[in-house]
Amino acid sequence: MKKTTSALSGLYLILILFFLYIPIIIMMIMSFNRSELYLLPFEFDLVWYEQLAQNGQLLGAARNSILIALVNAVLATTLGTMTALCFARYEFRGKRVLQGLLLPTLTMPWLITGTAMLLFFFWSGIGRGLHSILLGHVALSLPYVVIIVGARLRSFGVSMEEAAATLGANAWQTFWRVTAPLMAPGIVAAALFAFAISFDQFVISYFLAPVGTSTLPVQIYSAIRKGFTPEINAISTIIILASMILMIGFAYFSKFGGER
Amino acid sequence: MSAVGISNVAKYYGRLAALADVSLTIQDGEFFGLLGPSGGGKTTLLRSIAGFVEPDRGEITIAGKTVSNIPINKRDIGMMFQNYALFPHLTVAENIGFGLSVRHRPKSEIAERVRHLLELVRLSGFEARKPKQMSGGQQQRIALARALSTNPKVLLLDEPLGALDKKLREEMQFELKQIQREVGITTVFVTHDQEEALTLSDRIAIMNKGGVEQIGSPREIYERPRTAFAASFLGTANFFEGVVSGRSDGLTRIELPDGQAIFTTDEAPAGAKVTAAVRPEKLLAGPPRPEAPQGRINTIQGRVTAEVFTGNSVTYKVDAGDRTVTVFVQNRTDERFGPNQAIALTWEAFHTILVAA
Amino acid sequence: MTSSARRLRAILGLSGPTALWLVVTVALPLAAMLVFSFLTVVPMGGREAAFTLKHYTDFFTRPLYLTNAWRSVRLGLEVTFFCALVGYPAAYVLARTIKGRWREALLLLVVLPFWSNSLVRTFSWTMVLNDNGLLARAVHGVLPFAPSFDLLYTYPAIVIGLMQAYLPYMILTCYISLQAIDDSLSEAAYSLGASRFDVFRRVILPLSLPGLVAGSILIFVPVLGAFMEPRILGGQQAIMLGTLIESQFTASFNWPLGAALGFIMLVIVLLIMGLFYPVLKKHISVD
Repeated sequence: MKKTTSALSGLYLILILFFLYIPIIIMMIMSFNRSELYLLPFEFDLVWYEQLAQNGQLLGAARNSILIALVNAVLATTLGTMTALCFARYEFRGKRVLQGLLLPTLTMPWLITGTAMLLFFFWSGIGRGLHSILLGHVALSLPYVVIIVGARLRSFGVSMEEAAATLGANAWQTFWRVTAPLMAPGIVAAALFAFAISFDQFVISYFLAPVGTSTLPVQIYSAIRKGFTPEINAISTIIILASMILMIGFAYFSKFGGER
Repeated sequence: MSAVGISNVAKYYGRLAALADVSLTIQDGEFFGLLGPSGGGKTTLLRSIAGFVEPDRGEITIAGKTVSNIPINKRDIGMMFQNYALFPHLTVAENIGFGLSVRHRPKSEIAERVRHLLELVRLSGFEARKPKQMSGGQQQRIALARALSTNPKVLLLDEPLGALDKKLREEMQFELKQIQREVGITTVFVTHDQEEALTLSDRIAIMNKGGVEQIGSPREIYERPRTAFAASFLGTANFFEGVVSGRSDGLTRIELPDGQAIFTTDEAPAGAKVTAAVRPEKLLAGPPRPEAPQGRINTIQGRVTAEVFTGNSVTYKVDAGDRTVTVFVQNRTDERFGPNQAIALTWEAFHTILVAA
Repeated sequence: MTSSARRLRAILGLSGPTALWLVVTVALPLAAMLVFSFLTVVPMGGREAAFTLKHYTDFFTRPLYLTNAWRSVRLGLEVTFFCALVGYPAAYVLARTIKGRWREALLLLVVLPFWSNSLVRTFSWTMVLNDNGLLARAVHGVLPFAPSFDLLYTYPAIVIGLMQAYLPYMILTCYISLQAIDDSLSEAAYSLGASRFDVFRRVILPLSLPGLVAGSILIFVPVLGAFMEPRILGGQQAIMLGTLIESQFTASFNWPLGAALGFIMLVIVLLIMGLFYPVLKKHISVD
């Protein structure tokens, strides 16, 4: 009886994983299929990867995406870590307000966040462009960084820093020799997370991208609307493999699923 | 010279007094215990000495110098934390060497000191391990070695053995005391465990509600508690409340509400309402005796209501008039008292201690 | 320098930049959006804007908006419901049946699709769901005489695409609250004579409710604002509140109307959150 239950539950999980992975697997397979119309039988070909190498628009958008994601990761991680430290170490009157400011991007549809940014940036003269996309992505990533780094900070409490002080370390020494190394896994995880959020972000970028410049998701969207080409399957396959590596890295640093 | 001086130190959290005008002096080389219930103020006092808590009033001195304006890292203290607070990212050697390293001491000196300290705590050879790879008892000893590493003027221990299981705790108590003697360092420690306080301390301060109830050697406090709280927090006590009805022959007579009377060698003016404490092991249980108490022996009559066998002794609950008295009887003879059996409890008058309620 | 001044400087230095950043990117844009939703035009380039309630009254009087808002809410509720229906048992199996390294690996597999581009995943469904697509081929491969079916550009296609995108959220939040339930609690219930069903209904389910609620909110909110998935999978038939708002900003350029519709969507979100607030407040503490 016990055996059948666990066999059934295993089967159930496999079905769910199948559901989650069909589109991804199909996309990967089609990126290697010669037919442009996704016709079967499958004929292995690298033609879409070759065409991708010549598609300046797509590669340019990919470059923009990587650039923004990198700058976003650095900025959001730096600002967010500082904020997490501030939250963990101080009680102050504006704390509630700042926590309140971190909430909207987590709890509102991105559609609203994105259109609000578009309105304000356009009206105030900040305008559209890679810079305003970056502004938006950092705002989106900040709450996650604060949560991830904050959780890490809480996990070791203040006693480590107190111990360092009793041993004669000054504030600077305490930070660089104790706090920073202890926070490091959280910071790395947060940076990977911030990178991934930005790299995959479509809605905000869609509203803030000016004509002629775009990020990869925006470019893919317009390609889908115009008529999809399998080159997009090719670049997506590359991205998925890359982001899975990122994700596994994230899992490793955040000790996903408990201590190992 | 006093190693640590506390004078009139007060700390308030809102209207709650965590420390209410505490004054005490800790001697050089002394092993000083702060014992009390949680919320009693003992941890606040320890953290005030360390510098984590800034008292609202009063003065704290370490080695004769006021430390009020000295930051934690310049106070020259060593502290062992309840959860040890060992740096998980550093090895055992780096943990122990941390204090010297932030003082920019040469590497060879640090290595030598680490080696010496590991020898002291009997963990030589564990230099390269990470704290997580060590057992609880080993982590505790590393935390101790780290706290001693900078040759501090005073060692502060926050519930030093609280996280260990009973067996290990007994072993470590002995070892901790031995190491403290060997190093000769003034040590202040906080505990809520009376046995730990009794075993380790040269002197104990019993703290309650932010104030000090009594300071003294373990024996002093145990044998002559000054307050009902001290009597019941350190050990177990039976309390008798009554009115002093006279004094003769060096004995004070206390009339109990139920008409029985007990005697104490302590003095009190006639007519005063008093509380007397008697330790359960000072009582002798025997068959009932009808004659009235005389001389220096107190007798009260009662009936056994419960018996608990604890191995080396038997605890009886005895219903004696309007109170229940606890008696510890050494497990020495075959004599046993069954439920509801009438017995007489006797004890020496000088074991009746008058305490402040 | 006094310690309180030093404290203030530390607080400002550490969280000031974040606060400033969020004011520019969140607080001011939302404020601007609220203001513009009451104006006739966006006051730029010398255009005169006047106060109006028209966009809001339009919403409540023109059936186009009300119908589509309801369609969006319905889509949100349906996707959330199906995710809970499918995801909760999966989380239960993961948290309480499977142990050790397998659990860790499977959990990682559940979360991994998050990190593939959502657009591409959505588009891949068009390859699966169209009449010539893989699903139809698979079915016809087994049952050659089955009627031809074409799910693409239908409402179910949108639900399927969104479910695939958001199911991991539900599994993850339910998993987190389910695995936090101590085994001894269900053992205690069994020892008191409870049946398997009793244990589930009276111990496991109430204790895992916060995860279910958190997952539901994490799904409902973005689905309510979804416009890309309906556009790709639902074609032109799938007009939703989200696609209406999007087109105000990208096609018809009636920004004040878009802002007003956006605020109405926000109110719907807040209403739903308010509905669940008691459960959230009881079980989920925000530090």
